[in-house]
Amino acid sequence: MRRALAFVTLRQWRQHGLRLLLTLLGIALGVAVFFAMRLANVTLLSSLRATIEQLGGKATLQVVGGEAGFSPEVLKTVRATPGVQMAEPVTETIARSELPGADNLLVLGLDIGSDLKLYEGLFDENGLVVNNPLAFTTRADSIAVSQSLRSRYGLKDGDTLSLDTARGRLRFTVRGFFSMRGAGSIFGGNVIVMDIYAAQAAFDRGQKFDRIDMVTAPGVAVEAVQQDLRGRLPAGLEVVRPDLRGQNIENAVSSVRLGLAITSLLALTIGVFIIFNSFSISVNQRWKEIGILRSLGVTRREVQQMFLGEAAVMGLIGSAAGVALGYWLANGATRIMSAISVSIYGYVSSAERPAFRWDYAAAAFGVGVFASLLASWLPARAASRLNPVLALHNIETRQRETLVGRPRLALGSACILAGVLLTKFSTPRLGLLVQYTYALLFQLGMILLLPKLIAWGARILRPVMSGAFGAEGVIAVDTMKRAPRRTSATVGALMIGLSFVFSNGAFIQSQKSGLNRSLDKSVSADVLVTTSEQIRSRTYHFTEELARRVTGLPGVKGADTVRVTTLAYNGDEIALLARDMNAWFEISPGLLDEGDAQRAHDLSARGDGFIVSNNFSLRSGVRLGDQLRLETPTGPLVRPVVGLLEYYHSDKGTIFLDRELYKKFWQDDAVDYVMMNLQSGVDSQTFKQEVQRVVAGQQRTFIYTHEEYKQWVTRLIDQFFILTYLQMIVAIFVAGLGLINTLVISVAERQRELGVFRAIGGLRRQVQRMILLEAASISLIGLITGLLAGIFNAYFLTRTAAVMIAGFNLPFRFPVLLALITAPAVLTVGLLAAWWPARRATRLQVAEALACE
Amino acid sequence: MMHDAESMVRLERVSKAYHNGIEVYALNEVDVEIKRSERVAVMGPSGSGKSTLLNLICGLDVPTSGHLFFEGSELSRLSDDECTRLRREKIGMIFQTFNLLPTLSALENVALPLRLQGQSRRAAESRARDMLLRTGLQERATHRPDEMSGGERQRAAIARALIFHAPLLLADEPTGNLDSHTGEEILGLLDELHRDLGMTILMVTHNESAAAHCQRHIILRDGRIVRDYDSVLSPLDSKAKSG
Repeated sequence: MRRALAFVTLRQWRQHGLRLLLTLLGIALGVAVFFAMRLANVTLLSSLRATIEQLGGKATLQVVGGEAGFSPEVLKTVRATPGVQMAEPVTETIARSELPGADNLLVLGLDIGSDLKLYEGLFDENGLVVNNPLAFTTRADSIAVSQSLRSRYGLKDGDTLSLDTARGRLRFTVRGFFSMRGAGSIFGGNVIVMDIYAAQAAFDRGQKFDRIDMVTAPGVAVEAVQQDLRGRLPAGLEVVRPDLRGQNIENAVSSVRLGLAITSLLALTIGVFIIFNSFSISVNQRWKEIGILRSLGVTRREVQQMFLGEAAVMGLIGSAAGVALGYWLANGATRIMSAISVSIYGYVSSAERPAFRWDYAAAAFGVGVFASLLASWLPARAASRLNPVLALHNIETRQRETLVGRPRLALGSACILAGVLLTKFSTPRLGLLVQYTYALLFQLGMILLLPKLIAWGARILRPVMSGAFGAEGVIAVDTMKRAPRRTSATVGALMIGLSFVFSNGAFIQSQKSGLNRSLDKSVSADVLVTTSEQIRSRTYHFTEELARRVTGLPGVKGADTVRVTTLAYNGDEIALLARDMNAWFEISPGLLDEGDAQRAHDLSARGDGFIVSNNFSLRSGVRLGDQLRLETPTGPLVRPVVGLLEYYHSDKGTIFLDRELYKKFWQDDAVDYVMMNLQSGVDSQTFKQEVQRVVAGQQRTFIYTHEEYKQWVTRLIDQFFILTYLQMIVAIFVAGLGLINTLVISVAERQRELGVFRAIGGLRRQVQRMILLEAASISLIGLITGLLAGIFNAYFLTRTAAVMIAGFNLPFRFPVLLALITAPAVLTVGLLAAWWPARRATRLQVAEALACE
Repeated sequence: MMHDAESMVRLERVSKAYHNGIEVYALNEVDVEIKRSERVAVMGPSGSGKSTLLNLICGLDVPTSGHLFFEGSELSRLSDDECTRLRREKIGMIFQTFNLLPTLSALENVALPLRLQGQSRRAAESRARDMLLRTGLQERATHRPDEMSGGERQRAAIARALIFHAPLLLADEPTGNLDSHTGEEILGLLDELHRDLGMTILMVTHNESAAAHCQRHIILRDGRIVRDYDSVLSPLDSKAKSG
């Protein structure tokens, strides 16, 4: 029996190749996005982690102290600690180079004078090959390049290479080569080695180290040495195992990862709708065939199995194609995520080609097959429950589909109501996962109500379409309404896709709006000067002296020099902004949301208080007036919180302190931003040129006016959400596929009806218009329901998810412009999707269509 | 050739062949002329070419060879749009399976050809109401096809076919899906309309009693006309004369 049914199914596939193709494409795209995002996620993380772990060489422990680094005294303490067999200092710098395709080079500053034994794990068995060791250590311009760079750029001993340093662009001479262990995978092999003291000088690090790598003595417990070191060193310095350092980075980029995980699941959901749609249509189309099979003795269960078997096979093929496509997409996604990692978090990773992960592939494959079975289950059940007698009277019966019953209506309404109320009133303490179910509840409610919403929509649209497009408009709306299940699946896919577009659009808009508001209040300087085109650079900083020369230019009314760095706090990497509090309060009056402004100004400027961002307070529970303890490289620093403000620099929170206090505790006088208010009458563009003249040849410098700065931040946000934008496009594309599927079937199913239409005098172009209008009606209802669901999702994202993930209290802004752009775009997609089915409908042979059952 | 004003449809050596591996002639060199106001029954076994003849006359299909004239115009010279307009305005069609659009009410179905012509909804539905009144369906105007009986559906189909007062009504087994009593009612309605409107009726049927409502009978077999004769009097005429 199964073979016979398989044979029947195969014939169906052959006859309806396009439907088969569209369904497979729907599954494949859903699985592909899901797989690609997960793979890109893990590739980025493993790249970041591998970089850290491999750079540790043979080290069993590392001392790290944030971006400011730490003094040589720490090295002495470490070397004097019992159980430490070997300890070597390291500096790590990401420097821009002139090499095409290797813009960022990892510059490792190692103590070349040591025997380099500690780095045996980093280099291969040949180690670091230097022809003239004396020249290498004595000449500050010496560098060793990786074999990867050597072979790619044909570098030879004695060649020179330009790098951007703290002193502008300098030339370095290649005097050594090395091969890295692990197939040169760190940073894609874009690594050079310098003597640590030369690196300190080139990148203006004073005598500071970024890291100390150490090997503990054999037979000594690593944990014991770690404990001992923690006691000897200031708490601001971390003593960690290299393999655990990666976790911090994983935490730092967790928000991006979570966001992408959610959006990739949404892409899969749309795929599920397409499958559901396709199978609903298939059952509808094969109504009579099912009746015949049942009359020939095929049982209900066998009919159900036939459809589920078909779904399983389609799921297998579609998912396999999806995994292949996803692997290809993951390349691009990884590159984009690496760019986000650099620009937003300052973490540079090598943009590696993602390694194929069988476990992820199996999971995506399994999810695809499961989704196919899940989506086909209801149609399969409907097929098995068909009354064979009615089914055999194919024409009369299949035209009617039952509309939603009252239980479904009640359940749908209850889900929507529950989703809205829970989002509004539920406590955030329940956790993000629980909160996310509220959004799902709302979506589920909308899906349950869709047939009813379509019926209502059709009732409103019918007279409008009748007035505007005559009989074709009426028939188009009626056709859409006549098959509520089929239309629901298509509208559902559109709704989910569009709600994704609108809600993300609203979220991004809200972020931009919040950020703009925050920038207007807290960064109201006329001109901003920075060292990086990214949010911040971990490598390039101004010296205080250079900052002084800039702020000393004529026309400057007030100046705030800012150091932007990070600090480990409760396992999170939070942002630390050290600035001239007096200048800040003067340049940006009214910046506080909480706290007495005058008192906060006085205390923080004296170094007797911290200002913190609202999201830091929300995440950490530290409130106004609480004592806040920070662990610095020189010991703990405890001060009260004297003010709170809206600030979106970091999703983990931001702490502000006076620059002098920072310099004292972190022993770091680097400057990342110089913010200046200009005297009235000074033209900011002319002033920018003056700044350019002062810094020329000394430092990479980016100068913005206040408005330019805001635009630049907006661009960064767009860059941050680029993957989301791409997924938005995929979502619409996938929904468009569903629409094509529906219309092709709609045309095929209504051959006789279209034949009648033509027979009684309907012109070809009127038939075409009718199909296009049907697509427009579906798109319009999809647009409206998508808008409704999108508004709720946006509300959820800004009010709940943003607070839960980052502690951001974002203002709710609906993307009116996006909605205005999306509406015609969706209608265009709908009409494009309908073009081919409409064309097919016009080519109908009327006489044959009239004879068609 | 001069057009005979009395000639509604004229076929000259019309053939229609289908190619399904082998060439099969559905109609083979058929010559026939249908005059205005004639009532013609086309009869013959399945596959004799009855439906093909109907499809060719209304321009849904094109002959493989020969010439087909409608009111003197050769159909093969008309474009698809011209042919469709001709069908819409001059040829009414009714089918065995009624072929009403399921989502439209009786009134909307009847008004559809007018609306396709571009008439306003109000004007089209006003005329459709008149036709429904004429076919006895005024009470069912707002009902959809699935809410009507078979006879009512066929009445609605007739109303739609004649909304333009088409001079030619093509009927393909109009009583094939109806019980004998309802079938008689429909045929009676056609007779009545013919008397009032004077249109030409070309009816394909297997049913002898349906054919008896027509004054001329054409018998087809294997794509050829094997008999073409006037019945002396149609039952209605005989009833009328005796009355």
